[in-house]
Formats: sequence, C-alpha cells, structure tokens
Amino acid sequence: MSERIAIAMSGGVDSSVAAAVLKQAGHSLIGVTLKLQECHDAHGSKSCCGVDGITRARDVAGSLGFPHYVLDCVKDFEELVLLPAWQEYASGRTPSPCLHCNERVKFGLLLDWAARLGIPRVATGHYARLEKDEAGRPMLLRGCDTGKDQSYFLAGLSLDQLGRAVFPVGHLRKPEVRELAKNQGLPTAETPESQDACLVAPGESYSEMLRKHFAAPARPGAIVDEAGKLVGQHDGFHVFTIGQRKGLPAGAPARRWVKAISPESGQVTVTSDASELVDTEFVAKQVNWLAGALPAQPLACSVQVRYRHASEPATICAQADSSLRVTLKKPVKAITPGQAAVFYDGDRTLGRGWIG
Amino acid sequence: MIYADYNATTPLDPEVRAAMNEALDVTFGNPSSIHSAGQAARRLVDRARVQVAGLIGAAADEIVFTSGGTESDNLAVLGVAEAATGHGIVTSAVEHKAVLDPCKYLQAKGHAVTFLPVDRDGRVDIAALEAAVKTDVALVSLMLANNDTGAIQPVAEAARAAQAAGVLVHTDAVQAAGKLPIDVKELGVSLLSFSSHKIHGPKGAGALFVRRGVRLTPLVHGGRQERTLRPGTENVPAIVGFGKACELARARLDADARRVAELRDHFEKQILARVPGTRVNGGNQRLPNTTNIAFPRLDGEAITINLDMLGMAVSTGAACSSADKTPSHVLVAMGQSAAEARSSVRFSFGRDTTDEEVDRASNLVVQAVKILREALP
Repeated sequence: MSERIAIAMSGGVDSSVAAAVLKQAGHSLIGVTLKLQECHDAHGSKSCCGVDGITRARDVAGSLGFPHYVLDCVKDFEELVLLPAWQEYASGRTPSPCLHCNERVKFGLLLDWAARLGIPRVATGHYARLEKDEAGRPMLLRGCDTGKDQSYFLAGLSLDQLGRAVFPVGHLRKPEVRELAKNQGLPTAETPESQDACLVAPGESYSEMLRKHFAAPARPGAIVDEAGKLVGQHDGFHVFTIGQRKGLPAGAPARRWVKAISPESGQVTVTSDASELVDTEFVAKQVNWLAGALPAQPLACSVQVRYRHASEPATICAQADSSLRVTLKKPVKAITPGQAAVFYDGDRTLGRGWIG
Repeated sequence: MIYADYNATTPLDPEVRAAMNEALDVTFGNPSSIHSAGQAARRLVDRARVQVAGLIGAAADEIVFTSGGTESDNLAVLGVAEAATGHGIVTSAVEHKAVLDPCKYLQAKGHAVTFLPVDRDGRVDIAALEAAVKTDVALVSLMLANNDTGAIQPVAEAARAAQAAGVLVHTDAVQAAGKLPIDVKELGVSLLSFSSHKIHGPKGAGALFVRRGVRLTPLVHGGRQERTLRPGTENVPAIVGFGKACELARARLDADARRVAELRDHFEKQILARVPGTRVNGGNQRLPNTTNIAFPRLDGEAITINLDMLGMAVSTGAACSSADKTPSHVLVAMGQSAAEARSSVRFSFGRDTTDEEVDRASNLVVQAVKILREALP
C-alpha cells in the first residue's frame, strides 16, 4: 500500500538508498534535510555547515523524482542536543548526543513537522529493523549488518515514535547498500562514511567543539593517582572520559587510565591498574522500556554500555524508583556515566537507560 | 505540473528564446569593440534598449541595464543616497527585501530611514508620506505592486507629494511590469526598477529607469558601459531576450491582463466557496494575476508542500522551512498576527495558465486542505 512518508536525508549513501527503496515500493515521498548549523558559523571553523549534505540530498531526491525540503533546526538542535551534551561534559559525564538527536529531533521535531503536513511516517537510513509483536506493538531489532547496527542509537524512542518510523535499509548489509546506490546511479554512491558525531571538525574533540560553541570556561585542575598523589595538571576536565588513556601525563608506570572525574574539585583521578576500571554493577536511570512492564523480577538479558561495544550478559531488576539495577555476568571496562545502556533479548531491543 | 507561481518567475517565451539564440550563436561580439563584430552586438543592445524603454514609456537613454530587479533596486536606493545632498530615505514596511535591505544598510550607516506603515490592505497612507518627506529626505522608494499580495500602491499620488517637497521617487515595479500599464511620466517617478524573468524573459537581466538629469553614484566601477552607471561587458543574449520580452509584454498586456484576471477571479471564487473560512489578503486594488489566500488554522507552508506533492507549484511569503517560521513581513505589516500570516498562500497565474488548469488547481487545493484538516490535532 502506498503511504505518505518523509525521508530524513543527510546526503549520505544510507539515507539515499533508503529513499530509493521507498520510492521503488511506490510510496509518496518527500525528502527532508535537517539544517543543524548556520553557514556563517562554519566560516573560520573547519567543520562543515551541512551545505554539502543538503546539496547531495537535493540531488538524490531530484534524480529519484520526489520533492526535497530543508528544515531549519539550528536553534532546536542547539537547545535539544548540543546544550544538554555540553552540560553533561561540564558535570564530568560523557553524553550520548546521537540518542538525544534521534529522540528529540529526528523522531521529535521532524516527526511532528511531518504530522502537521499530514505525513504520518518518518523514514531514516538507520541500520535497524522494525517488526510487530503478537499484540501489534512495534519491536525494534538490530540491523542485519552486525557491524553497522544502529539500534543502540534508537533505543530511546517510544513505542509511538517507533510505530511511525520506517528503516528501509535495516535488512541490508552495507556492501549491499553501496551496490544498490551504484546500480541506481545515485549521486551519493561514492560518498564517504559520515562521522558519528555531527559538526565536529577533523582533529577536534566533540567536547572541545561544544565548549567553544557555548563560550564556556574550561575547568583546569589536578590529575592525581588513586593514592591522591599529584601526577600532573590538565586544562579542562571536559576533554576526559572514563577509561581514557590519551592526553594524560606520561610517567612510570607507563599506562594510565582515567578512573574518575570530580566536577566539584575539577580533579581527574587516574589509575595504572586496569582492573580498577571494571565494574559488575551499575544503575540505569530514566528507563525507556519497550517490552511491556519493567521487569519486577530479575530478568536475564544482554546489555550494551556504549556504541560499538559487544553486548554482555546481565541480569536486570527494576528498582522502586523505576531505575534498573544491572548486574553483569562478568566485569565490563569503563562503564561511563552519561552513556546509554541498551538492553537486548537476542536481536530485540528491550529498552534504554542512562548510566547514572 | 500546474505552475501557479508566476510572481516567482515565468517560463521563457518561445519568441524570446528565438531572439536570444541569434545573439548567442551569431552575434557574439563585445558591444564596446570598435569593429563590425562589436557593432553588430551594439546594435542588438541598442534595439533592446528601445524595446525595454517602450514598456514603461521612457526614452531609450533613460534605461540602465542591470543583472536584475535586486541590482536595480540597490542601484536606485544606494546610488541616490550617495549622490544626493538630502540624507533621509522614506520607504514602506512592505517593500521587497531588495529595497528593505539596502535601506537597513543605510540606516546602519547613519541615514534616517522611515518605514511607512500600511493599512490592512497593504497600502501606505499618503498623509503619512507627506509628513515623512518634510525634513531632509533624499529619496522615497515605494513599490508599484506587492509581490506577496499583489496590492497596488498609490505611487502617482506619492510621487506628487514627494515632488512638492523636492524629493526623488523610486518605484520597484518588478511585479507590476507587464501586468499593469506603466508610463513613467504619468507616474511621475524618477527611478523605476523592473526585471526580465518576471515577464517571460531570461534570468540575469533587469533595468533601472533613470530620468534624465537624475544623479546616481554607481555600485561598481570599471568601464564606460551604461553611462558608467553599470560598467562591465553587457550580457548581450539576456539583454536581447529582455528586449523581446518587453516588446511582447507591451503588445499583449491588455489581453493577457484581462484573461488572467478572469482566471484568477474564477479560482478565487472557487476557493472562497469550497474552503470555508478562507479570505483574500490585499484588498481590491491588486495585480490581475495574484491572489493571496488565508486558510485559517492551517499552515501555508504545509499547504505549499502538499500541493507540491500533488503536482502544483505555489508559494508562501516565508523564505524557507523552519520549525519556528518567520511569517511574511508583508502580511505582518498589514496588521496580521504571526499565525494569520503563516496561514496564507500566494497563487499567481500567467500567460500560459489555462481554464482547465485553474479548475484542476482549485480541486488540488481542496484536496490538500482536506489532508491537512484530517492531520489537525
């Protein structure tokens, strides 16, 4: 059945092929590229304002024969994604902006905008699949390409958002996507892989880009070892994340990792003992649960504590405050506050919580 | 596709294309060259200048070719501000950005700029204009017809009032040219901008009428072309096309205007009857081809996109899609709320619009409105 669908087009190959798949299936499409940054902001900075993406997306839409529009989300993106991300860094945590962007922008703002146009569904080029359970509720499944699976980034969507989402390339593998793009002669067939983090220039850290964007002061401080002994100074703790080795002062012992960040004192604690970085337990807060009621009894499942990380067997149990206590079967390194913990039953995404 | 956005641009007339082809293929010379190849090109530009002047009742030597309406407006406003002894500028709140932005630029540079308010139909009040031109004003710039609503301004009256105060008058006639009969002597203006691509000519050509004796400072410097007011080698093929388009517009103006007004009125009646709550912006004195219709509770941009999906091209006053859209400054200046202004869509018809298309167009609008009403929360 032909449906009215808005396809979010970044100008990359995945969303281009997603559009081609939907067009071929006979749907009535509009392409939308979200403008996330002002062009004049890009002057003097190395990051692109997205004009290239807009140009390529318009080219693809035109060649496939459906209209394309640019939705200006600069202010909303700043408010809904960038500012919360900076606030996390400023409080010594490591944010997951891609999840926020999907929850609040692509399947927030864009979904609402499309709905006002009388277009009930929004498609993206994410590697994830949607199926329905026995009750007809949407189930979010991992993409077939295990190396590209992006269900982690989508695990915060509500059932309502998932019910209106379409992921046309979720059943494809990346080489098949490239092949389709080439066969269809899409202008984006040879487009290089886009970065996971939007707006970041090569060589610049995301946290530093955010700090400059909001003209926030850096918080320098001491680097100490576990015994509290001073081992160096840093120019701002926002550039550190748990488990990080880069950017620490060299010294004996040669290997050191960030173990803790204290936003109050600005102190960064390092360890040279890798076993100090692992944990078997944590709490996931503000849980978005996609599989019925939160598990009151301990539930065996697997959990992924960051993107591009193998999921680990775990037992989870709902707490009185609706958070989830997560007990891992074996210790996992660098469980980082601010990151999303996403729960799976095989390929099925059960939900997401924020690591507290 | 049904094209109902003639105020944005128009298709090239086949006769214009034929005239341009000759200039593109055969007469490639530089009009400033002394030799025969240059002379041939010069003759084409000379002939076009007569054709262009003819559309507005000017003399050929009062025409300065430019790249289009925006450049003509800029040359008029900035050129007078720099050359004149007077200091202030008087304009209206509903001008095109090509006039508003140079005025704002001058304001930032220290010029006193008055943006005259308009009534609910989008017309300025002559008494307000008379008061505004009393002190140290160099220029009044008032558009002949508005691009969003088609509302026609009392430019002749404004010119009389300004002249009494010894102030020059410029009018942006980009939308009016080819749709209304224009005679610069009757209007009494000293400067008038118009553009080729709005009258079935090519893009990239326009003209500024500069009455004999009016002093202007050019925007660019570097040659003797266009009496040094617009130096640079002439865009000969576009100028030739513009000339032909002006000749055709002049010959067809009465018949075209009458026919397109009938189509527009028929469309307007259909929409007002079939979509309850709709109303027309811009009063009764409007361009014959334009109707700007408010669809209460609906979003003009959403209507535009749905019509695009259904195969019909229309326009909203707003420039680009955004989550919090800036509404048309024209409708807001006419006293509408942001929500009212955002609910409006501009339909503009033209020479190639057919009876059958207008009937189909009203059906598509009804269909788009139905889709959007069903999507309302």
